[in-house]
Amino acid sequence: MTARQPPPLDLGVGIGLRVPHYAAILAEHPHVDFFEVISENFLIEGGKPLYHLDRVLEHYPIVQHGVSLGIAGPDEPDRTYLTRLKALARRTKTPWVSDHFCWSGAGGAHLHDLLPIPYTPEAVRRTVERARMIQDFLEVPFALENASSYLTFRSSTMSEWEFISEVADRADIGLLFDVNNVYVSAYNHGFDAHEFVRSVPHQRIFQIHLAGHTNLGTHIIDTHNGAVIDPVLDLYRQTIALAGSVSTLIEWDDDIPALPVLLAEAERARHVRDEGLALRDGRPLPVAAASTTAAVARTDVTGWKQGGPRESAAHETVR
Amino acid sequence: MSDGLSALQQRMAEALREQHSLPQHAQWSAFAEQHIAGNARLSPAQQLEIYREQFWLRHTSALVEDFPGLGGILGQEEWEKLAEQYLTEVTPDSYDLRDLGARLPEVIERATWLSHQALCLDMARLELAYIEVFDARDTPPLSPERLATIPEEAFADARLVIAPSVRLLSVRYPVGNLRRKLRASADQTVPIPGPGQQHLVVYRLERQLWDMPVSKVAFTFLAGLASGKTLGAAAELAVDGPEAEAELSSSIGAWLQEWTVKGLVSDVA
Repeated sequence: MTARQPPPLDLGVGIGLRVPHYAAILAEHPHVDFFEVISENFLIEGGKPLYHLDRVLEHYPIVQHGVSLGIAGPDEPDRTYLTRLKALARRTKTPWVSDHFCWSGAGGAHLHDLLPIPYTPEAVRRTVERARMIQDFLEVPFALENASSYLTFRSSTMSEWEFISEVADRADIGLLFDVNNVYVSAYNHGFDAHEFVRSVPHQRIFQIHLAGHTNLGTHIIDTHNGAVIDPVLDLYRQTIALAGSVSTLIEWDDDIPALPVLLAEAERARHVRDEGLALRDGRPLPVAAASTTAAVARTDVTGWKQGGPRESAAHETVR
Repeated sequence: MSDGLSALQQRMAEALREQHSLPQHAQWSAFAEQHIAGNARLSPAQQLEIYREQFWLRHTSALVEDFPGLGGILGQEEWEKLAEQYLTEVTPDSYDLRDLGARLPEVIERATWLSHQALCLDMARLELAYIEVFDARDTPPLSPERLATIPEEAFADARLVIAPSVRLLSVRYPVGNLRRKLRASADQTVPIPGPGQQHLVVYRLERQLWDMPVSKVAFTFLAGLASGKTLGAAAELAVDGPEAEAELSSSIGAWLQEWTVKGLVSDVA
């Protein structure tokens, strides 16, 4: 088995690598601690996406985050997918590879969604077995992220935080702790977000995600389409106070703003992170940073796709 | 792995691919009531419906994004109808949404209700070729100097390796130009062209996509090379009469030079 503890290094505060920012990133090399890429956008053999990835790798650390593993699904993990994922991990030298606590298809069908899991001993067993196998196969530390969900199952016999804690401990993997997803699911299912934050194994948190969302009143959709709202930052501060300095990433995948806006959002997160670390160490809080962006309230949720637009043939000018 | 968990997931996956709203559907509402908790704001079927809507929105928007030329021909209403037919008949089975439209041409062939079926078929094939060429494996192009090192007596038996980022396409409509016009036109009011057969070489050069019309003789010759035939055998394949023979013999040197410079040839075997 691959040694995977203690948790990996703290990379600082990063942002998702998104196509609309490529030109500015490659021309200006802005200060960003690290970038996260959606693995599936680069599980290809050549062309422009890998060219751009290699150029970014010349200047920044990159971590890989996947959306297609569907680890808790009825079908066994796709070996071709895992083989390509491993090859990409070698190319990027990512310190860890992550995906989600979810399933994505059944009977060979791939639904390209992060579907919710019934929190049962049967689902724990299945997820643990596969997480161990995947971590050994990839030969890099592996982490799973708590996904947002819009329904819960009657058959669940434990809370979400009990489920992810048991899987992480038994499989000996890391957690990618998405604080916004905690907030979204807490709203959708009426649980206490702070209890979730308090209850997970903090020493296993490899990375934190922060993002905006869309509140439709009846439920919140995890759209990644705006600034991080203050209640989510409060949960983040609490998480850092409990977990210590953990690599933190801002996700912004829809209505993607200009790069300076995203960088300012990262600085806002960095300030809250400093506050969390001060709380942890019993130090006075740093002076508050100004809020850079108002939370975006949207009601037009369309076919949202994690990772923003792909770099694809459709956007090319064919000569 | 046949168990309660898998059975539940299998049924839920079927529900999410339903075309119609689940809360209106008695069978799926009963399924949701049985398995999903619901809350004070949303019934179990309404919660399941959130995921069903996302399935259709996500996949329809992926198709619209990948096939802008097809969308330009069809307009929104017909395009949505075709996307619905496609997603009903073809199960998405790849982890990569890039592969979603791979079987669009075969569904278009069955979609006899389409206003411009043959044109749509050509456009879908062309746009699929762009998708495949865009991120195909990188290979260093063969240098013209290396090509020149083939001794004359060995020329007929030499095999040229065509780069993985090359696709050959015979179309009945000038879809390459139509797609360019559609993309350049903000309101997409572009006249539908009449038929006009073209032999297209779709390729990638320095990370840019290109489509290049070539003559039928050049196309057949290049297709022969791409299928692994020797230069001699590919030439025989391309020659179906005296005119073709004259064209081939007068142009073969220039073709090979051009194709090498454009990165279509990656090696000599």
